[in-house]
Amino acid sequence: MQPEVFVLGGYQTDFSRNWTKERKHFAALMRESVLGALDATGVDPRAVEVAHVGNFAAELYCRQGHLGAFFVEVDPVFSGLPTGRHEAACASGSIALLAASAEIEAGRYGLACVVGIEQMKTVSAAEGGDFLGTAAWYELEAKGIEFPFPKLFGRLGDEYDRRYGLRDEHLARISAINYENARLNPNAQTRTWYMNERHALCRTDDNAQVGGRIRISDCSQVTDGAVAVFLASRAVAERHARERGVAVESLPRILGWGHHTARLAFADKVAESRDDRYVLPHVRSTITDAFRRAGVADVSGIDAIETHDCFTTSEYMAIDHFGLTAPGESWKAVEEGVIALGGKCPINPSGGLIGAGHPVGATGVRQLLDAHRQVTGTAGDYQVDGARRVATLNIGGSGTTSVSFVVGC
Amino acid sequence: MTTPEAHTAQRARSLLEARPIRHVVVLGANGTMGYGSGALFTTAVPRVTFLARTREKAAEGLAAAQRAVRSPTVADRVKVGSYEELEAAVADADLVFEAVTEDLALKRGFFERVDAARSEDALVATVTSGLSIEALVEGRSESFRRHFAGLHFFNPPSVIVGTELVGCRDTAPEVLDFLEAFGARRLGRAMVRVADRPGFAGNRIGFKVLNECAQLVPEHGVVLVERLVGPYTGRALTPLATIDLVGWDIHRAIVDNIHALAPDEAHASLALPPWMRALLEAGTLGNKSGKGFFRRDGKTKLALDPGTGDYRPVAEAKLPELGFIDTISALHRVGRYREALAAFASAPGEPARLARRVVAGYLAYALHRVGEVTETLAGIDDIMGFGFNWAPPGALVDLLGAPVARRLVEEAGLAMPRLLANANGGPTRLHHRSLAGVGKYFVAG
Repeated sequence: MQPEVFVLGGYQTDFSRNWTKERKHFAALMRESVLGALDATGVDPRAVEVAHVGNFAAELYCRQGHLGAFFVEVDPVFSGLPTGRHEAACASGSIALLAASAEIEAGRYGLACVVGIEQMKTVSAAEGGDFLGTAAWYELEAKGIEFPFPKLFGRLGDEYDRRYGLRDEHLARISAINYENARLNPNAQTRTWYMNERHALCRTDDNAQVGGRIRISDCSQVTDGAVAVFLASRAVAERHARERGVAVESLPRILGWGHHTARLAFADKVAESRDDRYVLPHVRSTITDAFRRAGVADVSGIDAIETHDCFTTSEYMAIDHFGLTAPGESWKAVEEGVIALGGKCPINPSGGLIGAGHPVGATGVRQLLDAHRQVTGTAGDYQVDGARRVATLNIGGSGTTSVSFVVGC
Repeated sequence: MTTPEAHTAQRARSLLEARPIRHVVVLGANGTMGYGSGALFTTAVPRVTFLARTREKAAEGLAAAQRAVRSPTVADRVKVGSYEELEAAVADADLVFEAVTEDLALKRGFFERVDAARSEDALVATVTSGLSIEALVEGRSESFRRHFAGLHFFNPPSVIVGTELVGCRDTAPEVLDFLEAFGARRLGRAMVRVADRPGFAGNRIGFKVLNECAQLVPEHGVVLVERLVGPYTGRALTPLATIDLVGWDIHRAIVDNIHALAPDEAHASLALPPWMRALLEAGTLGNKSGKGFFRRDGKTKLALDPGTGDYRPVAEAKLPELGFIDTISALHRVGRYREALAAFASAPGEPARLARRVVAGYLAYALHRVGEVTETLAGIDDIMGFGFNWAPPGALVDLLGAPVARRLVEEAGLAMPRLLANANGGPTRLHHRSLAGVGKYFVAG
């Protein structure tokens, strides 16, 4: 039997905070997430055997590398713990999760802490946009370009438009749903912001264009945040369950995972998929791999999705790639209310990257924690009733590195 | 799986479904609180009517609301009108929200008209921050009183989520439950139930501390007081800059009201300094008049000398040795808040003692108010956290540890609050929320 990886829970920092305004080092951000996760789960810090940190670009934002070592700074009992840092642009958090779960499956360790972290408000929007450009092929796609990523994901929209047709109204609805859901999430960055579908359709400077068809309302946020979760082997999970007087089967597991990397430059990806029904076929394979490993036939076995809506176009892409519609027909799921809270398969009940926020290296871990909250019925106001299996999709670059998890009991 | 979270969410959902809010009428929609709250209502309510003295004034309120949230779409849900249209608008309203000038007679006049025009089931709320809720409903019908409450948003409502909910004696429990759910789940507010006492909970406690800081200015100077009670003590904004921001006139109205109507163990701390009253009368109103405790001369920040009324460059102020603030800030910077507070509690020297006196005064005053302004410490902690962005008193006690907090209160020569006297210093905590996120209140430096 395939070894299992259990998710014991974790902690997310309030994504609305600006840690630069608080004059804090990311050491404080990491410390809060780890201590918060210990507090939330009741895990004994002395029981932690290994730690993995997902982070994209602390060297650029904070002029500090070697993030794994900062985990040890959290508590004296962590001195000597094996730790490391993982980077795959916006998918960094999921890559850290994959590394930790692989070690648990291999039997090397029984209890791992995975932290996703990014402090981004240390620099101006323009400078930060340039840093994010290093997640693309910088010299070819980002150097000297203001806000390269909105432009790349604007081109994703253009590609959909060319192949299948795409209407701004559907992107605006996607944006509005994410903001509406975020209002229900006490850790969401935009929970108090003024936003609605009509505003997302504004074509004035109140909703300025930032790259091709991408406007402010189509974008995820610049966010400071960290999320820590604990992954455990069956033996550790059984002990954890026993101590709490619950059945180990009631604890969520990572049921399946998928992971693929496509060519880096967006033009090369699109050229490769010219004859494919899916615009980003490696994203599709990532999802179907996760489904297959989880023993889920298709998306009808999934109760909710936390996807990578770095822009509305990426969520539009995720809808058909998850199989909620035929390729090119994502608009149908938008119109029919499938993806809204209360719909057949809500997408981003947390608010996603647009509503909850997008601290780059933390996002994959945040998605996994939200999946855990959904399947344990602890998501509060953004709970999807009766959620048993939740899928995530975390993407680095312009659809380059993709990771998907299926979480359930 | 039924969890406590799911249960609370379910109850709120059924309350909200039972009473749809389709139309809100805002009275005084041209004022800061009127248009700010009005914009907030448009996020959750399909129709909002902005009323003011004239239609033009109401339209100005709408324009200000659009600027405040930077969206022209506010107008999609808003109609404007003058008070001549009050009866017609109110007849069709599910909620009437009053935000006219803070004047008892004026507000009562409006409520008389609302009483006559409203439907039997319509809710009525006031945004008052100072007037007695009981006094406002005097002479009103039973139905009006059953459906009436104070809904005290903090300024600006688009940014600050802490909100006080105050019933009068006759307010139906169902109405308070509904407004709590509506505020929390539809408007994204942190709702706190408070008693109908002068200044309610937040201003009562907050302005006592602010006024005490103002009282310290003649002896210690503006710059030193700001440094000592700075962001490292658990607040986003320093106290005297806060008074400048809210306005000296507003500060006077709040502390005069509390001082006159709520004599308590800290009565003297609520007396407005006479020199502030004199400067106020000569036109010093804080930021809105261009001068308060601080003033700007080009790029130079100047601080008030209360003795002469002159301003001197902040950079030139002579300060004592304040190395302990740097030590504490360095600990905050890496998220070691407990150690930071331990360093605060043990820092030697007169300046540190003065800072501890103010913080102990905050803790003691807040803890003494439990049972008077809120039922439990949870409400006080929430309004200080979500309304003032100050470290909640209960969280401060927990971070310091009860024995240390008691020592601070004793050293300040203050009466010991029962809650603190009984705290065992063990695992029992005073603050009702997880302490994991409490670092957000502490700014390094």
